[in-house]
Amino acid sequence: MPTATALDLLNLPDADVVALAQRGRDSAYRELIRRYERPVFSLIYRMVRDRELAEDLAQDTFVKVLNHIDRYRPEFKFSSWLFKIANNVAIDHLRRRQVDTISLDGSPHATTADAVQATSFEVADQQESALDELEARELGSAIENAIGRLRPEYRSCIMLRHVEGRSYEEIAATLDLPLGTVKTYIHRARHELRSALEHLRDGAPGPLGDDE
Amino acid sequence: MNHRHLLPDEIDLLLDEEVGFGVGPLRAHIQDCEACRARLDEARVVVDALEDLPHFAPSYAFSNQVMAQVPVFVPWHAAAREWIQQWVPRSVAARAVMVALATTAASVVTLAILWIATDTDLLVAMSAGVGGRMRELVVQAGHAMIATLFGEQVFAAVRHAGTAGIALAIIVILGTLGGSLAGLRALAVASARKGD
Repeated sequence: MPTATALDLLNLPDADVVALAQRGRDSAYRELIRRYERPVFSLIYRMVRDRELAEDLAQDTFVKVLNHIDRYRPEFKFSSWLFKIANNVAIDHLRRRQVDTISLDGSPHATTADAVQATSFEVADQQESALDELEARELGSAIENAIGRLRPEYRSCIMLRHVEGRSYEEIAATLDLPLGTVKTYIHRARHELRSALEHLRDGAPGPLGDDE
Repeated sequence: MNHRHLLPDEIDLLLDEEVGFGVGPLRAHIQDCEACRARLDEARVVVDALEDLPHFAPSYAFSNQVMAQVPVFVPWHAAAREWIQQWVPRSVAARAVMVALATTAASVVTLAILWIATDTDLLVAMSAGVGGRMRELVVQAGHAMIATLFGEQVFAAVRHAGTAGIALAIIVILGTLGGSLAGLRALAVASARKGD
């Protein structure tokens, strides 16, 4: 019988990879980690704002999910289940401790230029001019700061909506919230972010604590 | 005509590029109202900035660190199936030969069982006075099985021991079967681990 090669796994939908993992395929477990390590880590990092802590919490998330992979039901999206656990892990941590570290630069553990770039808060550099790129970086940094000041519930919703591209219904299912509540949170988050970025529009440096 | 400006929820509908019955008038309003268009553009800057945010990468050892904490469990039936499947030939011709041999073996076993049943008159016993006849038939069937597997001397010893002996023989046979299954499972699990 042909075994599931790495190439085969790349083309399989999540539900099939999970089924292989449930049958004890080590490669299927690794494929699930490969697919979602960045989105999960990014979500948690932006929630807790500390890189080492985010990595620990992301590991906890994957360990919880993979150790209970037999409980997964194929009628639900695997990614929704995974993000739900990730969000709960981050929210639980924020409730226990106050996290106030904001790190915009690369990981202190990065030892090469590539690693620093991969782990820092940077905006995609696809602008046409140096000025555009500078403005994009300034906007990217400003929005990262602004995200860090949102309430955790708003933060989860806005990131799942616009960074992960989830629909309102998926977010409601992932976070176990009513649809109306999700829409309210996202609306308020957008409003707060817009207020926090007004100083850029006005061309003046705004204090980080500038709330309406 | 409605001259009011758009509500925040209506701006959100346009931001989310909703389609539906009520969205048309909103789009029409945006075309005509510079103030609302400006508010929509400001909101869109925020959304675009959010959608441009990159994914961060965890450390290079992340995957290994997770796997170190996740014991990969192979269900015994999955491992057994894979162990058996590795003996199935890949070529069509070889599979055809294997099927033919398996069919032949199954036919021989079926005929043997039918012969024993016919010889011991199982069908007759079921229709008339089952009790004592069944016991006799079971002994005969047991004789055939034990004598074939272990020899006449063993059967004689078991028969001499009486009901307890037969019960012990059955336990031994079931234990052997159980041990075979456990061995099959162990082989299958070992094979699956080796494959990964």
